[in-house]
Amino acid sequence: MSMELERTKNNSQLPQSAAPLFPADSIPEDLFVPEPVDASLQEQTSGPMKSVWQDAWQRLVKNKGAVLSLFMILLITFLALAGPSMSGRTYDEQNLLFSNLPPKVPGLEWLGFDGVDSKGINQYEVRGVTENFWFGTDEFGRDLWTRVWKGTQISLLIASLAALLDLIIGVAYGGISAFYGGRTDTVMQRIIEVLMGIPNLIVIILFILILEPGIFSIVLAMIVTGWVSMARVVRGQILQIKAQEFVMASRALGASNSRLIVKHMLPNAIGPILVTIMFTIPSAIFFEAFLSFIGLGLQPPLASLGMLIQDGYVAMRYFTYKLVFPGIIISVLMISFNLLADGLRDALDPRMKK
Amino acid sequence: MGAYLLRRLGYMLVTLLVIATATFFLMKMLPGTPFNNDRLNDQQLANMNAKYGLDQPVAIQYLKYMSNLVQGDLGDSYKYVGRSVTEVISERIGPSALIGFQALVVGTLVGLALGVTSALRHNSLLDYTSVTLAVLGMSIPSFIFAALLQYYVGLKWGLLPPALWKGYEYTILPTLALSVTVIATVARFIRTEMLDVINQDYVMTAQAKGLNQRKVIIRHVLRNALIPVVTMLGPLAVNIMTGTLVIEKIFSVPGLGEQFSLSVIVNDYSVIMGITLFYSFLFIFMVFIVDILYGLLDPRINLRGGSQKG
Amino acid sequence: MKKRKSFLAFTLMAALAVTGCNFNSGESSSQSPEPNNNGGTTTEQPSSGKKVLQVFNTDEIPSLDSAHVHETVSFTVLNNTMDGLYRRDQNGQPYLAIAEKHDVSADNLVHTFTIRENAKWSDGSPVTAKDFEFSWKKVFKEAGHYSFMFETLAVKNAVAIEKGEKQPDELGVKAVDDRTLEVTLEYPNPLLNQLLSFPTFYPQKQEFVESKGDKYGLEYDNMLYNGPFMLTDWKHDQGWTYTKNPNYWDAGKVKLDQIDGYVVKDAPARLTLFESGQLDRIELDSSYVDQFKGDPRFHIIETPTIYFIRFNHEHPVLKNKNIRKAISMAWDKKGLTDVILNDGSSPLNGLVPKRFATDASGKDFREFNGDMQQGTLEEAKKLWEQGLKESGVTEVKLGVNAADTDRSKKIGEYLKNQLEKNLPGLTLELKNVPSNQRLEIEKAITYDLSLGTWGPDYADPMTYIDMWVTGGSANRMKYSNPKYDELVQQAKLNTDLESRFKQMVELEKILIEEDVAIAPMYQEGLAILQKEYVKDFVYLPTAPTNNYLWVDIVK
Repeated sequence: MSMELERTKNNSQLPQSAAPLFPADSIPEDLFVPEPVDASLQEQTSGPMKSVWQDAWQRLVKNKGAVLSLFMILLITFLALAGPSMSGRTYDEQNLLFSNLPPKVPGLEWLGFDGVDSKGINQYEVRGVTENFWFGTDEFGRDLWTRVWKGTQISLLIASLAALLDLIIGVAYGGISAFYGGRTDTVMQRIIEVLMGIPNLIVIILFILILEPGIFSIVLAMIVTGWVSMARVVRGQILQIKAQEFVMASRALGASNSRLIVKHMLPNAIGPILVTIMFTIPSAIFFEAFLSFIGLGLQPPLASLGMLIQDGYVAMRYFTYKLVFPGIIISVLMISFNLLADGLRDALDPRMKK
Repeated sequence: MGAYLLRRLGYMLVTLLVIATATFFLMKMLPGTPFNNDRLNDQQLANMNAKYGLDQPVAIQYLKYMSNLVQGDLGDSYKYVGRSVTEVISERIGPSALIGFQALVVGTLVGLALGVTSALRHNSLLDYTSVTLAVLGMSIPSFIFAALLQYYVGLKWGLLPPALWKGYEYTILPTLALSVTVIATVARFIRTEMLDVINQDYVMTAQAKGLNQRKVIIRHVLRNALIPVVTMLGPLAVNIMTGTLVIEKIFSVPGLGEQFSLSVIVNDYSVIMGITLFYSFLFIFMVFIVDILYGLLDPRINLRGGSQKG
Repeated sequence: MKKRKSFLAFTLMAALAVTGCNFNSGESSSQSPEPNNNGGTTTEQPSSGKKVLQVFNTDEIPSLDSAHVHETVSFTVLNNTMDGLYRRDQNGQPYLAIAEKHDVSADNLVHTFTIRENAKWSDGSPVTAKDFEFSWKKVFKEAGHYSFMFETLAVKNAVAIEKGEKQPDELGVKAVDDRTLEVTLEYPNPLLNQLLSFPTFYPQKQEFVESKGDKYGLEYDNMLYNGPFMLTDWKHDQGWTYTKNPNYWDAGKVKLDQIDGYVVKDAPARLTLFESGQLDRIELDSSYVDQFKGDPRFHIIETPTIYFIRFNHEHPVLKNKNIRKAISMAWDKKGLTDVILNDGSSPLNGLVPKRFATDASGKDFREFNGDMQQGTLEEAKKLWEQGLKESGVTEVKLGVNAADTDRSKKIGEYLKNQLEKNLPGLTLELKNVPSNQRLEIEKAITYDLSLGTWGPDYADPMTYIDMWVTGGSANRMKYSNPKYDELVQQAKLNTDLESRFKQMVELEKILIEEDVAIAPMYQEGLAILQKEYVKDFVYLPTAPTNNYLWVDIVK
């Protein structure tokens, strides 16, 4: 893989300062001789050679925000996978006796997890409930802890699927468009312009109505409207790279198209592509939440973060906990992905040396 | 330049045509008719469909629609009997545009301020805080802000009216709720772009030459960083202005976004088509204007060739 | 210099904004209330001494043309701005309104109405019999949604005109002279007086209507009003203002000076507006009910709107009666109504809701057949097993077609959980889609189970009973019982009210108990918050429900 090596400061060793034999102002010019240049030292670098990735990683790690974000993402993902089983209940178990219980965590009562509702009444006492619901329950008596983490699972799944498929389609489209340039490029760009003109809402509604509403149709709907930005980023990158000298050089040396693409262009484009994915995920999460808010989400009793937020929004006044937990999680996810993407972008940009 | 303009206009028209056609057929595929009502029997349904020409083959309906369109007639709404689509749109665009415009102005100004200062103090506490705030603004769903604003500022503290649309003060809360996203987007964008520019050689040169720091920032950095911002503002503006569904619903603002999703749900074909075309036209027009601006601002861009549009 | 160019983009937006910014459309001659100062706590009415009621609406008015209206919002506005031959009083009983005399021929087929002398339009001109003839025929001439009401009214030739066999002008209504209207029926109809209060039968002044052309009914000043109030402002999608109509023949009864109606679609926003003093009466979402239960402003209204499950009677498993009965029995209706909906809804175990109709002795219809399709969980399970065996399967997967409203979603979720828990082998798949589509699917009978609802058009059990005749537009189930059809026809023509009542009781029994054609779920309740100074707001069980005629504001 041809990588552009980092040029670090060229620290050639300076000769030790000699003890003053003459006072400075009376040093004659001809006492100065150019230092003999040791050819082998010219290429010496002061630090070990680092690949782009190692360098980027090191820079990323220095970015506290990005590190924290990465940690949060991993934590949430872990909880999303393990959370539901922690409570011992399923996400669709209804029991009307437990309807609308506020959250209660033994040991965290002082933080508000005390089972007391908006009127100040301890619902657990009043109804004689002995089990603890860490995030409270909804009106059907379903455990919100389980539902929230299950919802996070689903939201992450939808977002990742959408991002992945966006990636594949976008890279293919943008890459081809940029690589061949000229007429192909123009036509393909026009097509993109047209696609961007059709309001997303219509396409989404159409998909969800024609296909059965569900994870598949939502992902499909999001891809259909989402691959465009990836395509444009890839195209922009490839165009930039195409204009670089080393590509011309490679071509002059007789490299085939596929070799150019695989060995030169894609690796250099990966940076921005990665960053774009990192940005796609939170926007997919957000978009799915938006769809749920206007009523085009998944079918009940499945829940995604968006649907939980929708339910929580209506009940927000008196059952604030229904909104708070999914709201915090979605916000943390979005913030983390955005910061991480930011950090990645900063880290991968060789010009940001500060 | 003239030939370029003509070519662009040509493209725009073709694009609009394609959009209109695609939306028309997509819309026809939507299940349901506009006349669904619990009480209508089949005979009546047939009568109504015939009256509006919905019983004819789709291809013919399309041709009829297109020929009307070319003459500037968007047809009548199916839901609001007797009201023309143009009327519906023009009645509803006002509120959306007003809030949108205000949100755009407030958002951009605050966003610029935030983004520029944080770029200038890269990696400082201020930078991190403002980035976090910006990301918060983009991450927390706008309706939560809207609901909080409505409840606290509108109801609890009674500073501003919580909903409806009866006077200028009614626009403030929706504008604020909407501008949060704009602030966040603009701030992050300008910051990234500025950081990009600041590290360029010519900026270092200017600094090395001993130019006044502020002059450097304004003349070189900001100018060049603004170019991509302008690019982004175009589409952003159109998106905001044609109404954010959520904000309009929460504050009971009679805007276009709300109207659009309502029309989709009740299958009001003509209004759906009308708003789609309107939105598309605005968008394409905006992109066009921005491209021209972009080309004028950045002398490196060759308008005639394949310009690298953002 | 560059900054200037980016502001170019802004000015473009500004141009758009300026063209659209309109708060007070030029023509409004309205007395819009001064904006309330929201001091955080509940505020007072504008202190101009006027009695103003502030209400909300869930949608914009599509049209005020009585020949075309078919939506609740339009019905409400028309009901309060227009008057028909009859009007309903606070108890829902019809009384003579625009008509001051009603004579009936010996065979009960020809009804002659004498129009009041002082019945006037809002422009001062008298309401004439010709206005009724014109508007009734217009419904057929322009294919209005509610033309079937004429069939319900049993007006002569209505059915034939609907089918296209006769011309609208042959409708059995004639203006003998300016003050005499003659209506001829196909058969005697005990529901006549009541039905005549329905908006489809309101008069329209031909001259005025024709002078406004297409725009009739689309703006507040493109209408003539002969009712208690008139619209003096209408800002599309925002709201409208009613003002007391001085030309109303019964203006003495009207106490309000003005009513402000606002379009507010968002439930939390409605509550906020109520609390900030801008709405005087709202409907509460179920999640707020518990908070307001003890509040003096809180009221529960029981409505006769029913919710039920339609079965696809051609489905291989659902066509088995035991299966249907098991499904109906195997879930706890009280849990749904008391805990989840929590708005005064109550379980329904028959077709006709409680407290909707009584016989001559005052006994509630509902009590005659009592609770049907009920039993213990064990019994339900047994029927289920039996049904499965008879159908030759051990498990079955059914789709549930429902609207995507919050309410329908909740019902679906609850139902699914309950039925899957109690009936082994059953899997339910919820399919919540936008209302239009739900209706399409129901009409095309491409569903397995469908959650349905029905509100009465008039105060008689027949409004629920004649839905189920073979091929009826409300049937949508491929359910067909010739015995049922025949009895319905007999009941419709039966002039003996007592025996007619008995026939309807019998019909309900056939439908629900013998045939298990549908599975009733519950009868709707409404949770209302109303300011204490609002008095005499009359909510009637059949549409139009909201009556402002008698409302008073007492501070």
